[in-house]
Amino acid sequence: MQKLRKIFAVAKREQGRLTSRPLYLFSMILAPLFSYIFFTTLMADGLPNDLPIGVVDEDNTSVTRQIIRNLDAFQQSKIVEQYSSFAEARKAMQQGKIYAVYYIPQGTTQLALASKQPTISFYTSATFLIPASLEYRDMKMMSEYASGAITRSTLYAKGYTESQAMAMLQPVKMEMHAINNPSLNYSIYLSNSLLPAILSLLILQVTIFSIYSELKEETSKEWLAMTDNDVYAAIFGKLIPQFVVWLLMGFVYLVLLYGYFHFPLHSGLLPMIILMVTLVVVSQAFAVFLCGAVPSLRWALSLATLWGVLSIPISGFSFPKMAFPPALQGISYLFPMRYYFLVYVDQALNGRPFGYTWIYYALLCAFMLLPIVVMRRLKKFLLEYHYQI
Amino acid sequence: MKWLFNILDVWRHELVRVLKDEGVLVFFFVVPLLYPLLYAYLYNNETVKEVPAVVVDNCKTTMSREFLRNVDASADIKIVAHCADMQEAEELIREHTAYCLIYVPAEFQKNILEGKQSVVELYSDMSGLLYYKAVLSSCTEVSLSMNQDIKAQRLVGATKEQAETFAYPIKYKYVPMFNTQSGFATFLIPAVLIMIIQQTLVLGIGMLMGDEEERRRKGLVLEHIQDKKPLTILIGKSGVYITLYLFVSVYLVCIVPRLFGLIQIWQWQELIAMMFPYILACVFFSIIISTFAKDRESFIVLFVFMSIPMLFMTGISWPGSSIPAVWKALSYAFPSTLGVNAFARITEMGALMEDVRPEIIGLWIQTVVFFVIAWILYRKEYKK
Repeated sequence: MQKLRKIFAVAKREQGRLTSRPLYLFSMILAPLFSYIFFTTLMADGLPNDLPIGVVDEDNTSVTRQIIRNLDAFQQSKIVEQYSSFAEARKAMQQGKIYAVYYIPQGTTQLALASKQPTISFYTSATFLIPASLEYRDMKMMSEYASGAITRSTLYAKGYTESQAMAMLQPVKMEMHAINNPSLNYSIYLSNSLLPAILSLLILQVTIFSIYSELKEETSKEWLAMTDNDVYAAIFGKLIPQFVVWLLMGFVYLVLLYGYFHFPLHSGLLPMIILMVTLVVVSQAFAVFLCGAVPSLRWALSLATLWGVLSIPISGFSFPKMAFPPALQGISYLFPMRYYFLVYVDQALNGRPFGYTWIYYALLCAFMLLPIVVMRRLKKFLLEYHYQI
Repeated sequence: MKWLFNILDVWRHELVRVLKDEGVLVFFFVVPLLYPLLYAYLYNNETVKEVPAVVVDNCKTTMSREFLRNVDASADIKIVAHCADMQEAEELIREHTAYCLIYVPAEFQKNILEGKQSVVELYSDMSGLLYYKAVLSSCTEVSLSMNQDIKAQRLVGATKEQAETFAYPIKYKYVPMFNTQSGFATFLIPAVLIMIIQQTLVLGIGMLMGDEEERRRKGLVLEHIQDKKPLTILIGKSGVYITLYLFVSVYLVCIVPRLFGLIQIWQWQELIAMMFPYILACVFFSIIISTFAKDRESFIVLFVFMSIPMLFMTGISWPGSSIPAVWKALSYAFPSTLGVNAFARITEMGALMEDVRPEIIGLWIQTVVFFVIAWILYRKEYKK
């Protein structure tokens, strides 16, 4: 009971410290909110629409003009300009005005009518990877249609039915199913991983900053004295008010993604709430561990920052882990965000039973226990350190 | 001549201060040295190969086996299991043994032989977009070549060429340019390199300014900036950062891409014309931001997370043509937007001076504007 009262007193003191510096308001509330709003509005359409394509139509017949109009009608692609030569179009690509070029050489229509099989070609610049791959998809589909339309009319003239004609054109057809994200929505794919990673980065940084600012301001002895030098109680008291704020920001995130944007949530909300609570606690615990393990504000903060930023590629949501070099595949186990990502995929995205996920939770719990290893060191440090510039 | 000596005096002292400060050295040298190596190494494989896939082959005929054998032989897909039914296959996906599922229906061969269309169903786990791409592209490639043979057989009496012309009255050809294998390192690393210059300058200069603030609160004033005009201080200090970052940039822009075999088709004129104003703009941008620093470390907490939104604002990932106007406008407040776009096109697409002129002019405008703002802020900061 006595102990609880002491923890409460430290928490109350921390509340005052958090409200006394704009830094905390900025990094605990404004920074996460900005990131949420930024990424969800940036990718609000799910897929980028009307990506600029340049066209070189040397043939310029009604047939080729129809092809170009049809390509323009695709949702992801937009013909922004017709160039008189390929060299000009390539220049526009190098100037960053277009990501792709669709090239129809002279004589295409005539050769096609004479059954001499002309070739049209399309070019993309995957220096800009996402628009290039989306435009590639549209241009390829358009090219298939262009051919198919001519063949189909020949087949119809020969008395084929529609399904017979399709079987003739494409005897074997692939039908693709993107499990639980059929529209390939980029926001579902990126926001679900980037935003928790940013939140976790900020938790790591703020936790370390708040502990070490006590050293810098030479208040750490006073802080520990409030719990009679019980370092566990002191840390708990300090981190509880922060936990409440982080959790609140975590809930804003959950409401925004699953409530407002209706991103896939096949597990129901509860598992994601549990996961969010776990992420907050793990990040705080890992930060305390770093404080004890690296007793220097500068180095602990730098290390936490490195960890937080590296979490993003290492989680493997954009470039999968199986493609990392083997050494880095091993390192990925040291990043709590990796487990968050795996649990999210199993739970919210795919709604798989808990049995597939418990191992990640076990590992996350192991991360939570890490501070125990360094608590004594941390106490000694907090009591004996003198800050010098 | 006295003003020149004053500038050199500030320059010399500031350089010593940088070299003696462990924390600043981390941002100016350690991070730029190691971070890009880590990133480039991580993405070094460029694309994902041999994505594990499971197969449900209900047809079990020569044709279905041939189809699957060819898919397995492709670079992108590796068939790790043949399952008896969908339940078994789905279980392997749930266990992360496989990320894609290829389902060949029982009537696959029968349909082909009867002249009907045969459909193969592909499923992909969407925890990564590259799995989707791998299974779709490799299966489509295999099916296209299979289709050619089937069509040749169906058109009785036709040669393969005639059948081909009939099926494709207009052929098409895809030519990927510049980043020819759609590689991840090639696409992302140039942007990361340019971002690192800006971000480490903000953090390092922010730390130096915070250090000055902390000293000032304790009544300690840096001797070399006492009695100096704000403009002298600004030029002297920025001179140090510019000098150091000329070296850092050569490493980032010339050496790192070479180490990892990334595309480098730049001409040195373009590279210098772009990198010089970029470094200037970054330095004065950082100086502006640094005047808000109250202590050494707070900038790390305040600024690092912004790297991620800033990277997306450049348009290197989510395309610039689809960035909402508000964010587009905001993106020009940072040198990184113009810098990343110009550098990616110079180094990977061989853009010439006239192709990146708008970006280079923009960087010079930023340099001038940031310089003037920095000067105004320094006048407030260092007024006696």
